[in-house]
Amino acid sequence: MDIAVILRQVPDTEAAVKPDPARPGAILETDIKFILNPYDEYAVEEALRITQKLGGSAVGFCVGPERSEAALRTALAMGLERAVWVCEPAAWQADLVTQGRILAAAIKGGGFAPSLILCGREMIDTQEDAMAAAVAQALDIPHVLGAAKIELSGDKAVVSREVEGATLEIEATLPAAVSCSKGLNEPRYPTLIAIKRSKNKEIKKATLAELGVAPGPSQSKVLALKSPPPRAKGVRAEGEPAEVTAQGMDWLANTAKVI
Amino acid sequence: MAGILVWIETANGEVRKASREAAGVGARLAEKLKVPLAAVVCGADAAAAPKAGRLGFSKVFAAAGEGFRAYSSEAYCAAVAEAGNRLGADFYIVSATALGRDLAARLAARLGAALATDVTEIQWDSPALTVVRPVYSSKLLAVTELCAPVKVVSLRPNVFPAAPERDLAAEVVAITPEDGRIRAQVLKAIQAAQGVMDVTEAEVIVSGGRGVGGPEGFKLIEDLARTLRGAVGASRAAVDAGWIPYKHQVGQTGKVVSPVLYIACGISGAIQHFAGMGSSKFIIAINKDKDAPIMEKADFAMVADLFKVVPILKEELAKALKK
Repeated sequence: MDIAVILRQVPDTEAAVKPDPARPGAILETDIKFILNPYDEYAVEEALRITQKLGGSAVGFCVGPERSEAALRTALAMGLERAVWVCEPAAWQADLVTQGRILAAAIKGGGFAPSLILCGREMIDTQEDAMAAAVAQALDIPHVLGAAKIELSGDKAVVSREVEGATLEIEATLPAAVSCSKGLNEPRYPTLIAIKRSKNKEIKKATLAELGVAPGPSQSKVLALKSPPPRAKGVRAEGEPAEVTAQGMDWLANTAKVI
Repeated sequence: MAGILVWIETANGEVRKASREAAGVGARLAEKLKVPLAAVVCGADAAAAPKAGRLGFSKVFAAAGEGFRAYSSEAYCAAVAEAGNRLGADFYIVSATALGRDLAARLAARLGAALATDVTEIQWDSPALTVVRPVYSSKLLAVTELCAPVKVVSLRPNVFPAAPERDLAAEVVAITPEDGRIRAQVLKAIQAAQGVMDVTEAEVIVSGGRGVGGPEGFKLIEDLARTLRGAVGASRAAVDAGWIPYKHQVGQTGKVVSPVLYIACGISGAIQHFAGMGSSKFIIAINKDKDAPIMEKADFAMVADLFKVVPILKEELAKALKK
């Protein structure tokens, strides 16, 4: 079973991100450590487990700027066979729906016909979680978001996902696009040998012209990034538990007015 | 703007609270811009349509039938698109619940629309529609202009005021979308145990972290949550230790919540945790470590042993709430 895995490079979760005054809507990239999107690791791991069991190729696909190569190498070191990468600014500056179209064209191109398209539940930089649906719509296949479990049988996948107050078991006809959540598996750490070998794996750059996709005018534009309003300085209570609790009760009743 | 369509999500035949918030935003925007407004509901029958109407809609499109008993991206998306087409809608509003996000994603791709998810502010004074949404682990807010002719937004629950119920009799319009193919179908919905509230919908969340010490410690957290009729949350450390299931995890790799009151017990407050609960209206922290990062961010910080404070707090709250 062939599997496409959508990859993205993002700032490390601990990174102190600041708006770039010179580029509205973008962050300052100096001193920022970039990593493979943490949720993508679950997608890579799942693809590897499935192809190891059933055979087939697991190939990465990425729309992202020049720096993204490091994230692609991480996924190759984990075990993906090769990667396809669209790194033109017109591609990675496009909105999510357009990026979904570009990824769909890249997946379809080159004679690759995966039964599953996996990606991370959310891209932690833009906090968007719609990529699996955007790619699925572009390919006219079904999608399921936020998989906590994927079971394959024949031309179907049964996917478990959490919604408010319930766990859904969803049966999707393959090919399908599924976004992967925490709990799906434990992503492996690449070994040193695997990291070394991954340097010889193929990363093929694809252009929008080759893929026959014209991004068109921007659907949405980030005008500015701003810091959330700072929280007002809080109150602190120290001392005996009964006393601390009494102060807390008073605060709940008179300041927060929630009781 | 030509028309606004709001998807009203139902659970067991009732309108979800988060959808009342979406209805409120739709109504205010439609009034301000003087454009037509309608709701769309999907379900096994159209019983929820009048309930949706009472949230301020004079027209409710209803897609009813077996194919709509359970949510499916494709059938629901086809129904919303059909309703939008009938209304001449170019602005679609849903709530950013799990299914709302799913629908918004597929719908935006289908319509080639601009998509903004988990929106916390909508500015409709400028000629273009501008929204604000959290990015980069909620460390920044992105002020985003939606330029495409058709726009789809999902609204973060618990942020916008809910529409009041009014005595309105809506015109219910039955719709049958043509391409209701369902290639991803719910086989089974396993409901959470009764009385267990999901963190994303709760107005009060009591959350436990490493300081809770183990699964037994979470009994204290659950007791306090029950007293406050709230939900139980957890930090990544507590979930990774296996003390509580993942669905309770709040933060970067868990759920994003915006309750009125968030009580963090034995949670240090790493930036990844704050990413999930930083927009709570009030934050109480209970921690022995006065230097824990959460103590700086809390509105009320109790420097104390949670095992001593939480039981007393529970008793006091039970008394206060009985009055």
